[in-house]
Amino acid sequence: MSFHIEVITVLLNGLQQGAIYVLLAVGLSIILGTLKFVNFAHGALYLIGTYAGLLLALEINLTSGLLSEWGYGQLGLGLGYIPALLIVPFVVFVVGLAMERWVVEPFKGRPDTDQILVTFGLAIIVQELFRAMFGSSSLPFSQPAWAQGAPQVPFLAVIPISSWRYYVIGITAVLVLIVYLLVEYTDFGLVVRAGTRDPEMVELLGIRLSRPYLVVFGIGAALAGVAGVVGGPLNPVNPTIGNEILVPAFLTVVIGGVGSIAGAVLGGTLFGLTQAILVSTYSAWAQVGLYAIAAIVLLVRPQGLLGEAEVAP
Amino acid sequence: MSDEPAPATEAGDDTLTDAVGVFAPRGDELRTIAATAVVLALFPFVFARMPVVSEVLQGYQSLATLILIWGIFALGFDLLLGYTGLLSFGHAAFWGSAAYGAGVFSQHVTGSPVLMVAAGTTVAVLLAWVLGFLSLRRGGIYFAILTLAFAQMLYYMSSSPLAFITGGENGFTGVETTDLFGVIPLEAELPSLLGELLGNGMYTFVAVLTLLSIALAYRILHSPYGIVFRAIRENEQRAEFVGLNVWRYKLMSFILSGLFAGIAGSLFTIHGSYVPLSSLYWTESGEVVIMTVLGGTGSLFGPIVGAGIYLYVENIVSGGHPIDAIAPFWHLILGLVFVVTIWTFPRGIWGFFRDVRDYVTGGEDR
Repeated sequence: MSFHIEVITVLLNGLQQGAIYVLLAVGLSIILGTLKFVNFAHGALYLIGTYAGLLLALEINLTSGLLSEWGYGQLGLGLGYIPALLIVPFVVFVVGLAMERWVVEPFKGRPDTDQILVTFGLAIIVQELFRAMFGSSSLPFSQPAWAQGAPQVPFLAVIPISSWRYYVIGITAVLVLIVYLLVEYTDFGLVVRAGTRDPEMVELLGIRLSRPYLVVFGIGAALAGVAGVVGGPLNPVNPTIGNEILVPAFLTVVIGGVGSIAGAVLGGTLFGLTQAILVSTYSAWAQVGLYAIAAIVLLVRPQGLLGEAEVAP
Repeated sequence: MSDEPAPATEAGDDTLTDAVGVFAPRGDELRTIAATAVVLALFPFVFARMPVVSEVLQGYQSLATLILIWGIFALGFDLLLGYTGLLSFGHAAFWGSAAYGAGVFSQHVTGSPVLMVAAGTTVAVLLAWVLGFLSLRRGGIYFAILTLAFAQMLYYMSSSPLAFITGGENGFTGVETTDLFGVIPLEAELPSLLGELLGNGMYTFVAVLTLLSIALAYRILHSPYGIVFRAIRENEQRAEFVGLNVWRYKLMSFILSGLFAGIAGSLFTIHGSYVPLSSLYWTESGEVVIMTVLGGTGSLFGPIVGAGIYLYVENIVSGGHPIDAIAPFWHLILGLVFVVTIWTFPRGIWGFFRDVRDYVTGGEDR
């Protein structure tokens, strides 16, 4: 394999890994920026997205867990990947709405440490529920047959990565663009942005903020769900994936700048590329490099790369 | 902290009274420590050997030791969360680094338990100094995320780049502990009544350190210095306006918290003769968070009670006692109890009992 092919492969892998971080970070970031709510259960939403996607797209055979003990070992609707990709965001959106109403709302007036603690506890509950139901062993979530081969890239030789990774990058780009346009160029976005700046003033003007907040949380949750579906086939699927992805996702938000969609994209891409480059060069340092970058960024620029002001703690 | 000077000293020599004054017991200190000592001495007997009770509880000696070790850890964590109001999600860094520190020290220098604890704790304190200095640049949620990030960095450091020291994925296996002071074997049963009460030397050693930790924490929290911690928790801005250097107090609170985590982490290595890589993983930080909050933040003994409950569920309930059917769901149960606690009773179990006591005795001020 010639050198430039190798470089392109690494960069594409990095972009794809970054895309997952971006999807999670954009959701976390708009929730944190708008509702001032710290959601440690964002990884749990990713987990729900992955399992929902798996059950919608494929038919699986459970070998452990309560469901198989109760005789539901044969599970899954086998609708294929496209329906899964379309349905899962709605499912997780609804989960997000429920969470906003029953968790975020009651904890509005509580200290932010309580918010972190309660969402952390919820993340454990979700993880353990999935472990109880589906068992702790990894489930097979194969990439769709139509996205397994390595496509021919124009003007270049064949890049040896499956086309599913291209789809991941593409889907992320489209969704993030939609959210960006929604926040920047619609009346809904205007209310949300105004509420971020000065919620009291917005309410004094007779605009109810609770509904836009509800929708923002739902959108953030739905993005995490999509991340779960597209990221699921790239890694082993087990109940701990949510907790594992939570930390890098949070770091992405913090180095990008809270509340900034562009920052989340920049941060996620930076993380993905760093990780991919280190994996192919000094693989032992791959994870450490991620955290080292985060530490340096935060020490030099505490508000994040594209962050404006500090969110009041 | 261990050596109490002779109690009877003539007044008159100012420097002498000042020196003694520092060590003189304050308020309920002696009573608290004496009561703690009695409970610690009876605990393993009741838990592991007492005829009826231990059969109901299904406790065992080594779990009693482990509860105290995690209790020290949670106590230190509460100093930061409950008293200073800072939520760290990176305390596994201090626990784990002390565990590795003590282990590596035992392999290369000496396996004396006392020196291992000293070495491990030193590592943890120095690390807490550095990480506290870096993390405390930001408040609130950023502090939680920064501590989490630094701790994770340490986890990945020891998982591969430093694997030649730490043993990577396999954990550190070269722990070589010798007898306590060169004469008391840790694992052997103590003679006669001591053996019946305390069990083995390991528990005794851990219990003594637990007692010293509680005494130290009590002293810190009831000193003017410790009262500043609470002032910061209540209103940081006001503390700043009074002229206190809030940042410095926060850093010291963080370091002290790291000190306790270090003692506990070192003891964990001595107790298990092994350091798993997971001792640095962030879920370990999450465990101490759960213990502390479950037991009750802002109290001295709440976190230790929380540690006991957590470990009891993790080790006994998960083994099928008392109800076999719920055994696989022990972690789920802990999560549910934790969320319910945060939701309805943020002051935890200890706070609940204190409220009940106050209600019964007619609103006593704590």
